[in-house]
This record gives sequence, structure tokens and C-alpha cells, in this order.
Amino acid sequence: MAYQFAFAPVFDNADLLLKGAGFTLGLTAIGATLGIGLGILGAISRAWKIAPFDRLFAVYVELIRNTPFLVQLFFIFFGLPSLGVQITEWSAAILAMVINLGAYSTEIIRAGIQATPRGQIEAAESLAFSRRQIFRHVVLVPALQRVWPALASQVIIVMLGSAVCSQIATEELTFAANFIQSRNFRAFETYFVTTGMYFLMALMLRQLLMWLGRRFIFRRAAR
Amino acid sequence: MIGLQFTFWDILRNLLSGAEWTIGLSLTAFLLGGSSGLLILFARISKNRLLQGFSRGYIEIFQGTPLLMQLFIVFFGLSLAGIDVSPWFAAAIGLTLFTSAYLAEIWRGCVESVPKGQWEASASLALNYFEQMRHVILPQAFRVAIPPTVGFSVQVVKGTSVASIIGFAELTKTGSMLANATFQPFMVFGLVALGYFLLCYPLSLYAKSLERKFHVTR
Amino acid sequence: MNLTRRHLLHSLAAGCLALAIPSAHADVLANIKQAGVLRVAVPQDFPPFGSVGTDLKPRGYDIDTAALLAKDLGVRLELIPVTSTNRIPYLTTGKADLVISSLGRNPDREKVIDFSIAYAPFFNGVFGPAEAVIKGAPDLAGKTIGVTRGAVEDLELSKIAPPNTTIKRFEDNNSTISAYLSGQVNLVATGNVVAAAVNEMTKLRRLDPKFLIKNSPCSIGVAKGEAALLAKVNAAIGAAKKDGRLNEIANRWLHSPLPKDL
Repeated sequence: MAYQFAFAPVFDNADLLLKGAGFTLGLTAIGATLGIGLGILGAISRAWKIAPFDRLFAVYVELIRNTPFLVQLFFIFFGLPSLGVQITEWSAAILAMVINLGAYSTEIIRAGIQATPRGQIEAAESLAFSRRQIFRHVVLVPALQRVWPALASQVIIVMLGSAVCSQIATEELTFAANFIQSRNFRAFETYFVTTGMYFLMALMLRQLLMWLGRRFIFRRAAR
Repeated sequence: MIGLQFTFWDILRNLLSGAEWTIGLSLTAFLLGGSSGLLILFARISKNRLLQGFSRGYIEIFQGTPLLMQLFIVFFGLSLAGIDVSPWFAAAIGLTLFTSAYLAEIWRGCVESVPKGQWEASASLALNYFEQMRHVILPQAFRVAIPPTVGFSVQVVKGTSVASIIGFAELTKTGSMLANATFQPFMVFGLVALGYFLLCYPLSLYAKSLERKFHVTR
Repeated sequence: MNLTRRHLLHSLAAGCLALAIPSAHADVLANIKQAGVLRVAVPQDFPPFGSVGTDLKPRGYDIDTAALLAKDLGVRLELIPVTSTNRIPYLTTGKADLVISSLGRNPDREKVIDFSIAYAPFFNGVFGPAEAVIKGAPDLAGKTIGVTRGAVEDLELSKIAPPNTTIKRFEDNNSTISAYLSGQVNLVATGNVVAAAVNEMTKLRRLDPKFLIKNSPCSIGVAKGEAALLAKVNAAIGAAKKDGRLNEIANRWLHSPLPKDL
């Protein structure tokens, strides 16, 4: 009995898949914004050794970068309630994504900041730039420019990694796929289509992030 | 009959055997992924358009889709092709493909970091392509490649946790089974996290120290 | 599960071998006899049907039933732990010969697999804390309820729950129960014996019965078109019902004899 491929039962559920994809992108958008924000704070405290935050961020970065996302997610969703912290599956997913991306972007942005040539800061000082101006125009924005491609890659990794959030009933794209295959029993076809969707989303997200970078970060620096 | 008491030792013992599978899977994926990554690398930097296109597509697909989906497809897809795959085998294949794509891309960057002058100089010595690779380019790229490769091994170890979802009883799966059986998720997942940290942190430190060493001597 | 390094190598070698010899899908019963192994998909997170002991080996009603069948067939038993979500793909993709995983019949499932006669009783319902006042499906309006994705109670609840009920579908029974015990959801739909087993295992948060959703006795799942295997399974279950062996399993795990009408 040869297996008959049937993709129709998958496409019958296109609305569920599209909704799931929308939620995945939404999760990624929130996670990326807050995560990169957290990363900027972390990078600043690490680069300028602002006590006690530099130490705290150092420990945080190592803890997160050396444990799997799935375990972080389980810990937050199933573990925190036993400390009396109730959290919905959406908050847990977002929190896990922010914490995860925050750690990676701290390291990425810090590398960007440390690559600032000393001469540029000195030049800005000699032009009587204020410390705030120097920080913003000479250090932070050029640093973000330098590392933007790396940050974009990391955001895409986080989006792809969010597939495991389906484990805690967050209704994103992989959840939709699992839901559909638990109804139509077409596991392979469903996952095949879903994988294709993730691939397209990753391609589109990269274009979008590069466009955002050009539009906001790069232009402002050129001004 | 049903009510079972798990002692702390029971939990630890089970987690340790789960960790053993995590290590086994990581090593398999890293070794097989490294060797196939090397093939992909050669295809990627070859002068043959077809090979280049194939390897580029390969890397794009495996870097552009979730590891979880890759594992699902290998797991359910191969058995449709009449090949009986255990979760262990599917996890090993899936992680190997994933690892090879990332390593090939990391190594390509290293090969390209070798200055153009090195190619030109070696060409002027009448070395052919393979001799150039063998004696001039690869030895230099190899030095640059070691720190990020060690660094990536951390990603491989962490990636094995996703194999828990296709039912492979490694550290994370063992952890969630225990969390359910003992009703102590905070402690169990804390121990699981600690286990990964103990596996990964030394690798991270090593990668960092290598980076520093190569940076200074360059 | 003997987790040694030799075992690891062994399964790697077995995996490679399996790659070399594509399995024929012709006659599963003949294949079982030839290989001398019966591969059964069983739950590991669904007490009392299937849960794990302190060695993390599966144990329970479904596991004992699987052992009974393997003994009747005169072959070795290989247990494959599965979740509610993936148990049917295991069968349709030929990863298991039988699914004995508290599987209830329904028309959707009958399109893709065949079912044996019933081997265990199963009533599923809604459970929650004592103070929750839920008498029937309409009382679920505006409430949030956890359920295991793809389980019978998921399929049934999706039909009867009011539209403004939030149904949270978890990957496996583990997660559903953990979500209830940790207070992430206030209500769950699951089997009556499952709730009883969980209550017996932990005092963390009691599961009080609220209302019955459906009586859906468990059947054994067999791949479509495997008439010989199906007949063999039916005969074995029928015989075990008559001679009291199945009743023994029921007494052991459900603490009550098999219902007369099963």
C-alpha cells in the first residue's frame, strides 16, 4: 500500500495557517523590539562598566546563551507558577523571546560599540560635542549600523526558534500545523507546507529588517 | 500502585542518563555535520556554477526554516519513503543537516577572509586550484575558523533539545517526563538548565579564549 | 530503556541498517511474525493507561494490553512512547504496527485507520477545582479550559463548547495536567480515570469532576487495509475478555472490573 500524498486537506486549513503565521510575526515583532532594547541597555552597561549592572548582564548573558530556548520557555511557563507567578502562554512566549534575544543582542551591540575608533570620539570632543551627543551620534548609532546585519540574523533565528512555543499552547504557526495534523492526520504534508511558509517568512523578514535599517538607522547617521 | 515516590536521586539519575543521550547526539551531529559541512563548503567556493547554486540553496533552506520543522519532516517524511526511522536516527539526521549548513556558511566566511593576494601569489607559483587550497588557503582559513566553530558547537548542543519534541528521550524530554511525574517543574527544569549550562559554558569559554589567542597573534 | 553507550551505538547501527532495507508495507501481520517483534505505540503521560515509573519505563493499562497481545502472537514487544498528537501519524507512516493509546473511535479517524473492538472503558469530562460551578457545556461560556490537542475530548469539546470559550490546546497530556496543577488554566477536559490517577499522585490541586463529555471506549488502532492483523487483534481481545485476563488488567489499573457492556 503506497502512501498517497494529499495536500488538499492542508490547504483546506489555509486560514488557520495564515493566522498562525500572523501570530508568529507578531510575537517576533514584539520580541525583537523589546529584545533589542534590552540588548542596548545591556551593551551600554557592559561597555561602560556601569556597576552593578555590568556584572548582572554578564551573568545573564552567559546563562541564556548556554541553555536552550525550549528549556527557558518551560522554566518560565511551568516553573515560575510554583513561585506564585502566573503567566499566560502568550506572555511566557514573549518573555522567553525577549530574554533570549536580549542576551544575544547585548553581546552583538557591545562588539559594535567597542569597535568605535577612539579617534572619532576625540574628534567629536574637539568639536565641543556634548557627552550625550557623542554617545548618540558617534557611538551608539554607528555601532548599531555596524552590527545591524548580525542583529537581523539573530532576529530571524529567534523567529524560527519560536516554533517551539507551540509546546506551551501558544497559537503560532507551528501550533496551527500541529492542530491541523491532529485533525487530518496528514503530518508530512502539513509540516512540509508549514516549513515552506517559515522559509518565505524568513526571506521577507530579512528584506524588511534591511529596509528598516536603511530607512531609520543608516539615514539618521548620514545626516 | 500509581502513586510513586521519586527521590532526588531518582530524578538526578534519570537526568544524567538523558544527558548522556544529549552528549551522544551532539557529538554525532557535530562530527557528521562537520564532514558534510566541509563538502558543502567546497561546493560553495567551487568555480562550478551548478555546485555553487546547489550549496547556496542548501544553506538558505536550512538556515531559513525552524529546526523543529526539519526534524518533523525527516521523521515523518523518511518513513513515508519506506525507511523506518527511530527518533534517534531522525534527530541525528536532522541535526546533521542543520549543523552542516551553518558550519559551511561559517567556514566560507573564513576562506573569504584569506587576502586575495594569497591566491594571486600562489597562482604565480604555478600551483593549481587544489594545491592552492591545500597548501595556502585552507591552512590560513583553518586558523580563523577554529574559534567560531567551537562557538557553534554550543548551538548544536542546545539544538539537540528540540529533538525532545519528536520523542527522543534526551535531557529536555527526560526533564519534562520527570516534571510531570514528580510535579516539581521548577526544580526539574532548573536542573535541566543547569545540565545544559555545564555542557555549554566550558565550550563558550574555550571559544572565547581561542578567539583572544588568535586575535593577539594575528 | 537501557541508556548505555553501547546501546547508543547499537541503535545508530540499527538505524543505518534500516536505511538500507526499505520496509515493505505489504502484510503487517506477516512482517511482525517474520521480525519476531510487535511495535506498539503507547502513551507515557496518560496515567493510568500509560505513565512512567521511577526508571522512566512505561507502565499502565495500555502497556499491559500490549504485552498481552505480544504474548498471544508469540513475539517480542517493543514499546514506542507517543503523544496524543502524533500517535496516528506513527501508524499511518508505518512507524508502529499497532496504536494502543487510549484511542477512541470517531468518524474522522475511521477514514485513516481501522479500529479493533473496545479493550478499555473511557469516559471523558470536564474537571476543575471544587469551587468552580460548571454543570454543563453552556457554563463554559467565557471560561478558559485546557485540553490535549487531538484527544477525543479536544474533538468533542470543540463541538459543544460555546463560541466564546477559550480552549487552550496543549501538546501532550503532561503539559495539560501541568498547566492545571500550576494554575495556568482553571479547567481541563480529560479522562475520568486520568483525573483520578492524577489526584492519587499529587495533592497539589484537586481535579473535581464537573460534567461528562462523552463515553468513548478505547480501541486499538490498526493501519488501513490490514485485515489479517485486525482479525488477529480482535480475536485476542475477545479471548482475553472471556478468560478474565483483561479484567485483571482493569482491576489493577482502574481499580474496578470491566463494565459488562464493553
